[in-house]
Amino acid sequence: MPELSKWMATVRISWSKHLAYKLNFVLLVIGPTLVFFFVKFSLWKAIFSLEGVTTLQGYDLRRMLNYQAWTLLVGLLAQGYNSMNLAEDIRLGRISAYLVYPFGFWPFQTASFLAFQGLQLLVSAVTLLLLVVGGLLSGWSWPALLEGFVFSLLVGFFWYQISFLIGLAAFWLEETWVLRVMFVTIAQFLSGAMMPLEVFPVWLESILQWSPFPYLTYVPAKMFMGEYSGSFAVAALILGLWLAVVSLGVNWVWRRGLRLYTAAGM
Amino acid sequence: MMRRLRQYLAVYGKFLSTCFAAASTYRLHFVLLIVMDQLFYFSLLGSVDFIFDQVPVIGPWSRDHFMFFIAFMLAVDHLHMTFVSESFWEFSYDLRTGRLDFILLRPLNTLFTIFARLIRPATMVNVVTPWAFLIHFGLALDLQASAWFFLLPLVVLALLLLTSIEILLSMLMFWTVESFGINFLRMQLQTVSRWPDFIYPTWSKRIFTLVIPILLVGSAPVRFLFDPTQWIGVMAMLVALGVTWILIAFVWRLGLRSYESASS
Repeated sequence: MPELSKWMATVRISWSKHLAYKLNFVLLVIGPTLVFFFVKFSLWKAIFSLEGVTTLQGYDLRRMLNYQAWTLLVGLLAQGYNSMNLAEDIRLGRISAYLVYPFGFWPFQTASFLAFQGLQLLVSAVTLLLLVVGGLLSGWSWPALLEGFVFSLLVGFFWYQISFLIGLAAFWLEETWVLRVMFVTIAQFLSGAMMPLEVFPVWLESILQWSPFPYLTYVPAKMFMGEYSGSFAVAALILGLWLAVVSLGVNWVWRRGLRLYTAAGM
Repeated sequence: MMRRLRQYLAVYGKFLSTCFAAASTYRLHFVLLIVMDQLFYFSLLGSVDFIFDQVPVIGPWSRDHFMFFIAFMLAVDHLHMTFVSESFWEFSYDLRTGRLDFILLRPLNTLFTIFARLIRPATMVNVVTPWAFLIHFGLALDLQASAWFFLLPLVVLALLLLTSIEILLSMLMFWTVESFGINFLRMQLQTVSRWPDFIYPTWSKRIFTLVIPILLVGSAPVRFLFDPTQWIGVMAMLVALGVTWILIAFVWRLGLRSYESASS
């Protein structure tokens, strides 16, 4: 019970911290996803309308825009910027406090992530409402919505763990934002955020099935659309396995990193 | 005039040597920066290539036209990443910590010091990729001799316009407590500019051409390179550049009046 109260207190504080600078929150968290959606939406609309293309790998204009709208929601729900300052905390010796507090560094960061995820849920709910009212989402169902939401939250946790792992690289590297940008670039390209995987060359699509990337955008978007051909349980299991691998990596890197930690700035 | 120019060149030389010295200290970071840029280039080019596996043309442009445009924007992006991009992040830090005080005291133009002092040497190595694609697709399109002549000046003009719009936008940091988001907004405008103007709906095309002329950065010069009779876009770029700098001078003065100098 005392442990839970620590988590709740941290969630509350983090929630306030995230909302302290509201314009910054909008520009940092919502802005990039919305602009990316705007560019994709315009591009695909142009491809279909300028060329009179009716279907492209089974997607007509409506279905393609539908897919893009769901990827917007997945982006908001699952691909946050939490733990962006983690590297700075390590480099400037700020984590020393967590080594003596009765609440560890990972629980503190994870509670902060949960607060962030709560905010993202609210933003996503508003976005979903606007998309439905705007007629950009058609043919959705409650079971598909629930399935998509649950899977996206799992993706969100995976994304957070990857961000945490990248942040821990600060034990060795002066800057870790490069690794973060690299991961986001690869993930946006290979996860189907720009275009559905059916548009990819067959050889690449086959290779990607062995990676976690399709599960980051394509799979949850298809679940939202009610078109995912695989089983939810299997998809969750596969992503869960990737999550376990990353979590083991986090644990290992944290322990190795602490040996190098000099508490600079103390 | 010449003496002043020489003085600024000497200062820029010092900026360069300092940045090279810093870059050589963190070698892994240096290598990672190169890899990061290459990943970005190939993911953008790959995305367009995959789309053109499905359709022969998009709007008025074929695969070669579109890829030339993307390569042009990557060439602009490469110069941007090398010579100015880091300075925007540092500017937000200077404002927040009050470090701008010391820059204001220097006997140099403050905007020059803020936006020209940080150079990223690692990115210089990547010059080959965008230019190789630019030349490859330019040859495939059989560009006229005049287009090859204007290519480099237009890349530089596009960089100047993009940077000027970004400088104007970054002045907003004077009025925000946490300015990280402004830098993200700046990056979103870059994302919009990386695609040709004809893909956008009319209303947004007008806004991003007339109000925030970010779509002029790539579309206007590339159209001129394809067809020299379409020079009006390049003229519009020059006008936009002039107007932007008038606004920068005005907003900069306003911003300085609001600056609270956190460290003092």
